[in-house]
Amino acid sequence: MNPDARGWRIALIPDALMNPSQQFRTALPDVVAVLETSGYGVLQLPPPGDHSLLLAVIADQVQEYSHHGYAVAAIGVRGVPGDGLHWRRLAPLLRNRRVALPPRHIIRSDVDAVAEGQRLATWLGNYDLPVEEQQRWR
Amino acid sequence: MDPKHPGKVALVANCLLNQNAKVCEGARYRGVVSPVVEALRSRGYVLVQLPCPELAFAGARRWWAVYEQYDTPAYRAHCRRLALAIAPLIEGYIRNGDEVILIGLDGSPSSGVRFTSSQRDWGGRPNHPEDDWEIVPRRGIWIEELEAELARRGLPPIPATGWALDMGRFDEAGSRRDLDEFLDGRP
Repeated sequence: MNPDARGWRIALIPDALMNPSQQFRTALPDVVAVLETSGYGVLQLPPPGDHSLLLAVIADQVQEYSHHGYAVAAIGVRGVPGDGLHWRRLAPLLRNRRVALPPRHIIRSDVDAVAEGQRLATWLGNYDLPVEEQQRWR
Repeated sequence: MDPKHPGKVALVANCLLNQNAKVCEGARYRGVVSPVVEALRSRGYVLVQLPCPELAFAGARRWWAVYEQYDTPAYRAHCRRLALAIAPLIEGYIRNGDEVILIGLDGSPSSGVRFTSSQRDWGGRPNHPEDDWEIVPRRGIWIEELEAELARRGLPPIPATGWALDMGRFDEAGSRRDLDEFLDGRP
Protein backbone atom coordinates (compact mmCIF):
# COMPACT_ATOMS: atom_id res chain seq x y z
CA MET A 1 0.00 0.00 0.00
CA ASN A 2 1.10 3.56 -0.59
CA PRO A 3 2.35 5.71 2.25
CA ASP A 4 -0.38 8.00 3.46
CA ALA A 5 0.04 11.59 2.24
CA ARG A 6 -2.41 13.43 4.50
CA GLY A 7 -1.22 16.76 5.90
CA TRP A 8 -3.13 16.59 9.24
CA ARG A 9 -4.18 20.24 8.92
CA ILE A 10 -7.58 21.48 7.78
CA ALA A 11 -9.08 24.93 7.18
CA LEU A 12 -12.71 25.90 7.43
CA ILE A 13 -13.33 28.40 4.64
CA PRO A 14 -16.35 30.44 3.53
CA ASP A 15 -18.10 29.75 0.25
CA ALA A 16 -16.94 33.24 -0.76
CA LEU A 17 -13.30 32.07 -0.67
CA MET A 18 -13.97 28.75 -2.39
CA ASN A 19 -15.99 30.46 -5.11
CA PRO A 20 -15.08 34.15 -5.15
CA SER A 21 -17.51 36.46 -6.90
CA GLN A 22 -16.31 38.59 -9.80
CA GLN A 23 -16.03 41.51 -7.38
CA PHE A 24 -13.70 39.53 -5.08
CA ARG A 25 -11.74 37.58 -7.67
CA THR A 26 -9.02 40.14 -8.28
CA ALA A 27 -9.14 41.70 -4.82
CA LEU A 28 -8.42 38.48 -2.92
CA PRO A 29 -5.62 35.95 -2.99
CA ASP A 30 -6.48 32.49 -4.34
CA VAL A 31 -7.01 31.01 -0.91
CA VAL A 32 -7.60 27.45 -2.16
CA ALA A 33 -4.24 27.57 -3.96
CA VAL A 34 -2.51 28.85 -0.81
CA LEU A 35 -4.13 26.08 1.24
CA GLU A 36 -3.06 23.47 -1.28
CA THR A 37 0.53 24.72 -1.29
CA SER A 38 0.49 24.80 2.51
CA GLY A 39 -0.75 21.20 2.67
CA TYR A 40 -4.14 21.96 4.19
CA GLY A 41 -7.40 20.23 3.43
CA VAL A 42 -10.59 22.27 3.09
CA LEU A 43 -13.90 22.17 4.91
CA GLN A 44 -16.20 24.47 2.96
CA LEU A 45 -18.87 26.43 4.78
CA PRO A 46 -22.17 27.23 3.06
CA PRO A 47 -23.01 30.66 1.61
CA PRO A 48 -24.84 33.14 3.88
CA GLY A 49 -28.29 31.96 4.93
CA ASP A 50 -29.91 29.49 7.30
CA HIS A 51 -28.03 26.21 7.07
CA SER A 52 -28.52 24.93 10.65
CA LEU A 53 -28.40 21.21 9.91
CA LEU A 54 -25.44 21.54 7.54
CA LEU A 55 -23.50 23.53 10.14
CA ALA A 56 -24.23 20.82 12.72
CA VAL A 57 -22.93 18.21 10.29
CA ILE A 58 -19.77 20.27 9.75
CA ALA A 59 -19.37 20.70 13.53
CA ASP A 60 -19.54 16.90 13.90
CA GLN A 61 -16.65 16.58 11.46
CA VAL A 62 -14.58 19.26 13.20
CA GLN A 63 -15.19 17.46 16.49
CA GLU A 64 -13.90 14.19 15.09
CA TYR A 65 -10.79 15.84 13.64
CA SER A 66 -10.06 17.91 16.75
CA HIS A 67 -10.23 14.88 19.02
CA HIS A 68 -7.91 12.76 16.86
CA GLY A 69 -4.79 14.78 16.25
CA TYR A 70 -5.78 17.10 13.41
CA ALA A 71 -5.17 20.85 13.45
CA VAL A 72 -8.27 22.80 12.39
CA ALA A 73 -8.14 26.51 11.53
CA ALA A 74 -10.70 28.95 10.12
CA ILE A 75 -10.08 31.48 7.33
CA GLY A 76 -12.65 34.26 7.08
CA VAL A 77 -13.05 37.13 4.66
CA ARG A 78 -13.92 40.70 5.57
CA GLY A 79 -16.86 42.13 3.70
CA VAL A 80 -19.08 39.06 3.95
CA PRO A 81 -21.59 38.73 6.83
CA GLY A 82 -19.83 37.14 9.80
CA ASP A 83 -16.65 36.97 7.71
CA GLY A 84 -18.36 34.06 5.93
CA LEU A 85 -17.73 31.70 8.83
CA HIS A 86 -21.26 31.50 10.33
CA TRP A 87 -19.41 31.95 13.63
CA ARG A 88 -22.47 32.89 15.72
CA ARG A 89 -24.03 29.53 14.81
CA LEU A 90 -20.89 27.44 14.48
CA ALA A 91 -19.09 28.47 17.68
CA PRO A 92 -21.89 27.26 20.03
CA LEU A 93 -22.16 24.02 18.06
CA LEU A 94 -18.43 23.45 18.59
CA ARG A 95 -18.57 24.40 22.26
CA ASN A 96 -21.43 21.94 22.79
CA ARG A 97 -19.16 19.27 21.33
CA ARG A 98 -16.29 20.28 23.66
CA VAL A 99 -14.18 21.44 20.76
CA ALA A 100 -11.74 24.30 21.30
CA LEU A 101 -12.63 27.03 18.81
CA PRO A 102 -10.27 26.95 15.80
CA PRO A 103 -7.97 29.98 15.49
CA ARG A 104 -9.24 32.46 12.90
CA HIS A 105 -7.40 34.36 10.23
CA ILE A 106 -9.31 37.03 8.33
CA ILE A 107 -8.50 37.94 4.73
CA ARG A 108 -8.98 41.56 3.65
CA SER A 109 -9.96 42.68 0.18
CA ASP A 110 -8.85 46.30 0.62
CA VAL A 111 -5.12 45.57 0.68
CA ASP A 112 -2.69 44.08 -1.83
CA ALA A 113 -3.87 40.56 -2.73
CA VAL A 114 -0.35 39.17 -3.16
CA ALA A 115 0.71 40.43 0.26
CA GLU A 116 -2.50 39.01 1.76
CA GLY A 117 -1.69 35.63 0.19
CA GLN A 118 1.79 35.72 1.71
CA ARG A 119 0.41 36.74 5.09
CA LEU A 120 -2.00 33.80 4.94
CA ALA A 121 0.74 31.36 3.90
CA THR A 122 2.92 32.46 6.82
CA TRP A 123 0.04 32.14 9.26
CA LEU A 124 -0.85 28.68 7.97
CA GLY A 125 2.78 27.58 8.06
CA ASN A 126 3.10 28.57 11.69
CA TYR A 127 -0.05 26.82 12.86
CA ASP A 128 -0.21 23.24 14.06
CA LEU A 129 -0.92 21.26 17.20
CA PRO A 130 1.74 21.14 19.93
CA VAL A 131 4.46 18.60 19.11
CA GLU A 132 3.48 16.20 21.90
CA GLU A 133 -0.09 16.15 20.58
CA GLN A 134 1.18 15.45 17.04
CA GLN A 135 3.35 12.60 18.28
CA ARG A 136 0.42 11.07 20.10
CA TRP A 137 -1.65 10.65 16.99
CA ARG A 138 0.37 10.89 13.79
CA MET B 1 -24.49 32.42 -6.99
CA ASP B 2 -26.41 35.18 -8.69
CA PRO B 3 -30.01 33.97 -8.94
CA LYS B 4 -30.50 35.92 -12.17
CA HIS B 5 -27.56 34.26 -13.91
CA PRO B 6 -27.60 30.47 -13.98
CA GLY B 7 -24.14 29.07 -13.61
CA LYS B 8 -22.28 25.81 -13.34
CA VAL B 9 -22.08 23.97 -10.03
CA ALA B 10 -19.99 20.90 -9.23
CA LEU B 11 -20.86 18.90 -6.12
CA VAL B 12 -17.63 17.25 -5.04
CA ALA B 13 -16.95 14.41 -2.63
CA ASN B 14 -15.58 15.74 0.64
CA CYS B 15 -12.17 14.11 0.32
CA LEU B 16 -11.52 15.70 -3.09
CA LEU B 17 -10.98 18.92 -1.15
CA ASN B 18 -9.77 17.31 2.05
CA GLN B 19 -7.71 14.14 1.96
CA ASN B 20 -7.67 14.08 5.75
CA ALA B 21 -11.13 12.54 5.46
CA LYS B 22 -9.67 9.40 3.91
CA VAL B 23 -9.34 6.11 5.73
CA CYS B 24 -5.80 5.44 7.03
CA GLU B 25 -3.38 4.83 4.13
CA GLY B 26 -5.92 6.16 1.64
CA ALA B 27 -4.70 9.76 1.29
CA ARG B 28 -2.78 10.39 -1.97
CA TYR B 29 -2.52 14.17 -1.48
CA ARG B 30 -1.79 16.30 1.57
CA GLY B 31 -5.12 18.13 1.42
CA VAL B 32 -6.69 19.36 -1.81
CA VAL B 33 -6.84 17.09 -4.86
CA SER B 34 -5.58 19.84 -7.12
CA PRO B 35 -6.18 18.22 -10.56
CA VAL B 36 -9.90 17.97 -9.79
CA VAL B 37 -10.13 21.56 -8.58
CA GLU B 38 -8.18 22.78 -11.59
CA ALA B 39 -10.32 20.82 -14.06
CA LEU B 40 -13.53 22.23 -12.59
CA ARG B 41 -12.45 25.81 -11.99
CA SER B 42 -10.92 26.17 -15.45
CA ARG B 43 -14.33 25.32 -16.91
CA GLY B 44 -16.15 27.84 -14.76
CA TYR B 45 -17.70 25.54 -12.17
CA VAL B 46 -18.25 26.69 -8.63
CA LEU B 47 -17.52 23.94 -6.12
CA VAL B 48 -19.83 22.67 -3.40
CA GLN B 49 -18.22 20.21 -1.01
CA LEU B 50 -20.39 17.35 0.18
CA PRO B 51 -20.06 16.14 3.79
CA CYS B 52 -17.95 13.04 4.41
CA PRO B 53 -20.34 10.32 5.60
CA GLU B 54 -17.73 7.91 6.94
CA LEU B 55 -15.75 10.34 9.08
CA ALA B 56 -18.52 11.39 11.44
CA PHE B 57 -19.95 7.87 11.59
CA ALA B 58 -17.04 5.46 11.92
CA GLY B 59 -14.41 8.06 12.80
CA ALA B 60 -11.01 9.28 11.71
CA ARG B 61 -9.43 6.01 12.90
CA ARG B 62 -11.88 3.71 11.15
CA TRP B 63 -10.92 0.43 9.53
CA TRP B 64 -11.11 -0.04 5.82
CA ALA B 65 -14.55 -1.27 4.79
CA VAL B 66 -16.51 -2.34 1.74
CA TYR B 67 -20.06 -1.62 0.55
CA GLU B 68 -21.57 -4.61 2.32
CA GLN B 69 -20.21 -3.52 5.72
CA TYR B 70 -21.69 -0.03 5.45
CA ASP B 71 -25.00 -1.29 4.07
CA THR B 72 -26.73 -1.12 7.46
CA PRO B 73 -29.87 0.68 8.66
CA ALA B 74 -27.84 2.90 11.01
CA TYR B 75 -25.36 4.01 8.34
CA ARG B 76 -28.11 4.66 5.81
CA ALA B 77 -29.98 6.75 8.42
CA HIS B 78 -26.78 8.72 9.02
CA CYS B 79 -26.38 9.29 5.28
CA ARG B 80 -30.01 10.42 5.03
CA ARG B 81 -29.34 13.03 7.75
CA LEU B 82 -26.38 14.33 5.75
CA ALA B 83 -28.52 14.35 2.60
CA LEU B 84 -31.19 16.40 4.40
CA ALA B 85 -28.45 18.85 5.45
CA ILE B 86 -27.04 19.49 1.98
CA ALA B 87 -30.14 18.92 -0.20
CA PRO B 88 -31.66 22.39 0.31
CA LEU B 89 -28.49 24.00 -1.04
CA ILE B 90 -28.46 21.67 -4.05
CA GLU B 91 -32.17 22.19 -4.65
CA GLY B 92 -31.61 25.96 -4.66
CA TYR B 93 -29.01 25.67 -7.40
CA ILE B 94 -31.15 23.35 -9.54
CA ARG B 95 -34.31 25.48 -9.15
CA ASN B 96 -32.22 28.50 -10.14
CA GLY B 97 -31.48 26.81 -13.44
CA ASP B 98 -27.81 26.13 -12.70
CA GLU B 99 -26.12 23.22 -14.43
CA VAL B 100 -25.31 20.88 -11.51
CA ILE B 101 -22.94 17.92 -11.76
CA LEU B 102 -21.55 15.50 -9.19
CA ILE B 103 -17.97 14.28 -8.86
CA GLY B 104 -17.75 11.36 -6.46
CA LEU B 105 -14.95 9.00 -5.57
CA ASP B 106 -14.89 5.80 -7.56
CA GLY B 107 -14.14 2.65 -5.60
CA SER B 108 -15.40 4.16 -2.34
CA PRO B 109 -18.04 2.17 -0.44
CA SER B 110 -19.77 5.47 0.32
CA SER B 111 -18.94 8.04 -2.36
CA GLY B 112 -18.48 5.77 -5.39
CA VAL B 113 -20.39 6.84 -8.50
CA ARG B 114 -19.41 4.47 -11.30
CA PHE B 115 -17.80 1.90 -9.02
CA THR B 116 -17.79 0.83 -5.41
CA SER B 117 -15.78 -1.75 -3.46
CA SER B 118 -17.38 -5.04 -2.57
CA GLN B 119 -16.50 -8.19 -0.63
CA ARG B 120 -19.23 -10.22 0.99
CA ASP B 121 -17.01 -12.04 3.49
CA TRP B 122 -15.31 -8.99 5.07
CA GLY B 123 -16.05 -8.73 8.79
CA GLY B 124 -14.63 -9.71 12.13
CA ARG B 125 -10.90 -9.51 12.77
CA PRO B 126 -9.38 -7.12 10.19
CA ASN B 127 -6.65 -9.39 8.86
CA HIS B 128 -7.52 -9.77 5.21
CA PRO B 129 -4.69 -9.78 2.67
CA GLU B 130 -4.14 -6.69 0.55
CA ASP B 131 -6.41 -6.03 -2.40
CA ASP B 132 -8.78 -8.94 -1.91
CA TRP B 133 -11.85 -6.78 -2.43
CA GLU B 134 -13.65 -6.43 -5.73
CA ILE B 135 -14.57 -3.32 -7.67
CA VAL B 136 -18.15 -3.51 -8.89
CA PRO B 137 -20.15 -1.08 -11.05
CA ARG B 138 -22.45 0.42 -8.46
CA ARG B 139 -23.06 3.63 -6.45
CA GLY B 140 -21.67 3.88 -2.92
CA ILE B 141 -24.15 4.01 -0.03
CA TRP B 142 -23.87 7.78 0.48
CA ILE B 143 -24.42 8.58 -3.18
CA GLU B 144 -27.43 6.24 -3.23
CA GLU B 145 -28.98 8.03 -0.26
CA LEU B 146 -28.17 11.51 -1.60
CA GLU B 147 -29.72 10.73 -4.97
CA ALA B 148 -32.78 9.26 -3.25
CA GLU B 149 -33.27 12.46 -1.23
CA LEU B 150 -32.96 14.63 -4.33
CA ALA B 151 -35.47 12.40 -6.14
CA ARG B 152 -37.87 12.73 -3.17
CA ARG B 153 -37.73 16.47 -3.76
CA GLY B 154 -38.78 15.97 -7.36
CA LEU B 155 -35.40 16.98 -8.74
CA PRO B 156 -33.97 15.48 -11.93
CA PRO B 157 -31.00 13.08 -11.76
CA ILE B 158 -27.64 14.85 -11.59
CA PRO B 159 -25.03 13.89 -14.20
CA ALA B 160 -22.24 12.26 -12.24
CA THR B 161 -18.86 10.65 -12.46
CA GLY B 162 -16.14 9.67 -10.04
CA TRP B 163 -12.47 10.45 -9.53
CA ALA B 164 -10.94 6.96 -9.48
CA LEU B 165 -8.96 7.26 -6.25
CA ASP B 166 -10.08 4.07 -4.53
CA MET B 167 -9.81 1.55 -7.33
CA GLY B 168 -6.76 -0.30 -6.02
CA ARG B 169 -4.02 1.17 -8.19
CA PHE B 170 -4.42 4.94 -8.52
CA ASP B 171 -3.70 6.34 -11.98
CA GLU B 172 -3.81 10.14 -11.74
CA ALA B 173 -3.29 10.80 -15.45
CA GLY B 174 -6.00 8.30 -16.39
CA SER B 175 -8.36 9.77 -13.82
CA ARG B 176 -7.74 13.23 -15.22
CA ARG B 177 -8.44 12.05 -18.77
CA ASP B 178 -11.69 10.47 -17.58
CA LEU B 179 -12.76 13.63 -15.82
CA ASP B 180 -11.86 15.85 -18.77
CA GLU B 181 -13.87 13.60 -21.10
CA PHE B 182 -16.87 13.73 -18.78
CA LEU B 183 -16.70 17.52 -18.46
CA ASP B 184 -16.07 18.18 -22.14
CA GLY B 185 -18.82 15.77 -23.15
CA ARG B 186 -21.38 17.94 -21.34
CA PRO B 187 -23.83 19.75 -23.65
